[in-house]
Amino acid sequence: MSEASDPAPVLEVRDLQAHFRTRYFGVNREVRAVDGVSFDVRRNEIYGLAGESSSGKTTLVKTIAGLLKPPLEMVGGSARFSFLPEWDAVGRAPPEVVRRIRWRHLSYIMQGSMNVLNPLRRIKHSFRDFAWRHLGGSKGEFDARAAAHLERVKLDPSVLSAYPHELSGGMRQRVTIALATICKPDFVIADEPTTALDVVVQKDVLAMIRNIQREMESSVLFITHDMGVHAALTDRLGIMYAGRLVEDGDTPDVFATPLHPYTRHLIASLPRIGDVKQREGLEGTPPNLAAPPPGCRFHPRCPLAMPVCATMVPAMVETLPRHRVACHAVNPGVAA
Amino acid sequence: MSALLELDRVSKSFSRGGLFSKQRVEAVKDVSFALEPDKPEIFTVIGESGSGKSTLARMILGIHAPSSGQVRLAGRDVATYERRAFMAEVQPIFQNPFEAFNPLKQLDRYLFMTAERFGDASGKGAAQAQADEALRQVGLSLAEIAGRFPHELSGGQLQRVAIARALVAKPRLIVADEPVSMVDASLRMSIVNLFGRLRDQLGLSIVYITHDLATAYYISDRLIIMQKGVVVEQGPARAVLSAPTHPYSRQLRDAVLTPDSAGAFRADHSPKAVATSGDMP
Repeated sequence: MSEASDPAPVLEVRDLQAHFRTRYFGVNREVRAVDGVSFDVRRNEIYGLAGESSSGKTTLVKTIAGLLKPPLEMVGGSARFSFLPEWDAVGRAPPEVVRRIRWRHLSYIMQGSMNVLNPLRRIKHSFRDFAWRHLGGSKGEFDARAAAHLERVKLDPSVLSAYPHELSGGMRQRVTIALATICKPDFVIADEPTTALDVVVQKDVLAMIRNIQREMESSVLFITHDMGVHAALTDRLGIMYAGRLVEDGDTPDVFATPLHPYTRHLIASLPRIGDVKQREGLEGTPPNLAAPPPGCRFHPRCPLAMPVCATMVPAMVETLPRHRVACHAVNPGVAA
Repeated sequence: MSALLELDRVSKSFSRGGLFSKQRVEAVKDVSFALEPDKPEIFTVIGESGSGKSTLARMILGIHAPSSGQVRLAGRDVATYERRAFMAEVQPIFQNPFEAFNPLKQLDRYLFMTAERFGDASGKGAAQAQADEALRQVGLSLAEIAGRFPHELSGGQLQRVAIARALVAKPRLIVADEPVSMVDASLRMSIVNLFGRLRDQLGLSIVYITHDLATAYYISDRLIIMQKGVVVEQGPARAVLSAPTHPYSRQLRDAVLTPDSAGAFRADHSPKAVATSGDMP
């Protein structure tokens, strides 16, 4: 979507930091899972977050959603939602305020549908538990509304009387999507919602997320490590590496002209049907976030590494229109 | 000369349910294929969850006995092998290396134990030499691994150690069940390329079980596509995936999202409502 349609961001993340802090037998350990991340998500767009396991994607969205539990702590920065302007992060607002906005304005689709659905309760009870107090009305009215909403995700209203185990994985994930969207929230966080699904089912579920998002004109923060899914679904794309955002831009631009060496590798290494070109893995391994390398965290594995990369943290710079990258090779001499 | 591995009309059914509602579930139905003894290849089994591909792998490994039909290794029924002699010929690699290794056990001990049990190592020195040789074949060395525990390594490194452990036994066949689906994207292709090198340089045959059509196209020689226990299509990997003929294979192929599927569901490229392909059972 173009920026002209709605310039004000729904979510403004600024220099967000979240660390795991543990103390065992007098030994303090700090893992910087999210270390200085800034980005905006606008209304009516799907912002994708890509990165490998332990790159901090899930910690980042948990921090944004205010779901942190010790030993994970939000250490600094802000993540401000337009529907909660008086607080600079959901996690810093008092519980009664969070209860009011959660599900009504901000909802969460998780990877495993069984984490959301109580196996001992029928689907309609899960709907009542989550959404009734936000939507109000009589029990009959609410159930009718839930049934109508299930039809949007192409599920029969009879699903309401079913138990989770009676449904297939794809149907269950659609139920969680319906649950997360029934209150028409402004903002939906989707953390690997299709990773556990078969590809044929995944395609349908992605189409469904897109259709509902468009209908409600809401914003979606969509996490997956699967670059194919990002290419097909997201409007904007942010690439995370070792707790930092290294690049973001309009998804077609990131795929057409990836600027960061890591992004370039991610896109170039994907095998494609019909293409027999040799694809290489990247040397080295992702850094240990308890002792990350100084400077740019990618420099030990980077083909373009220069002396400066080991000493100075590169700043995120808007190198192309609406396309930022943090790399000394692309933006010489710009440190954070 | 008999085939290295031959599946002859293999089926497997499980019974499910209690005393009054017993059902037979046919996980694998009538599957046949053979790997030639002097032509190393990567033979891919493609299928989604519930297709029976893991049951097939477990039958090849001799963990499950087929309900009917026969799995033969070098012409002999797998069930008649002495277990240790069989494991010296066929070695498994599993999906999640973090689950395959005991977190409290040092990794080099797995390599030494395999060398002593299935290789021909007698004594500590020989076992160490064999472990080091196998680790070098996967781009590691004993010096890097000695004394380390699983949590100290990344998923990609750990999967390499799992492959090295399999190589220590000097098998003729490796059965790899989803070996790269838990490995990070930046390291995945190194593992896939490693399988290619094992085939080309060591002459190993590999049964590669996956749901990922793109890596199957990239690395495998021949493949079968399974749906609900039945082989729906088979042939040379690139020919089949370039032009699948069975409706299910086509559906699978069309559902693969790559960087080229740009904007399949994006607002400015697609019609108002995104089409969905039929409903799920």
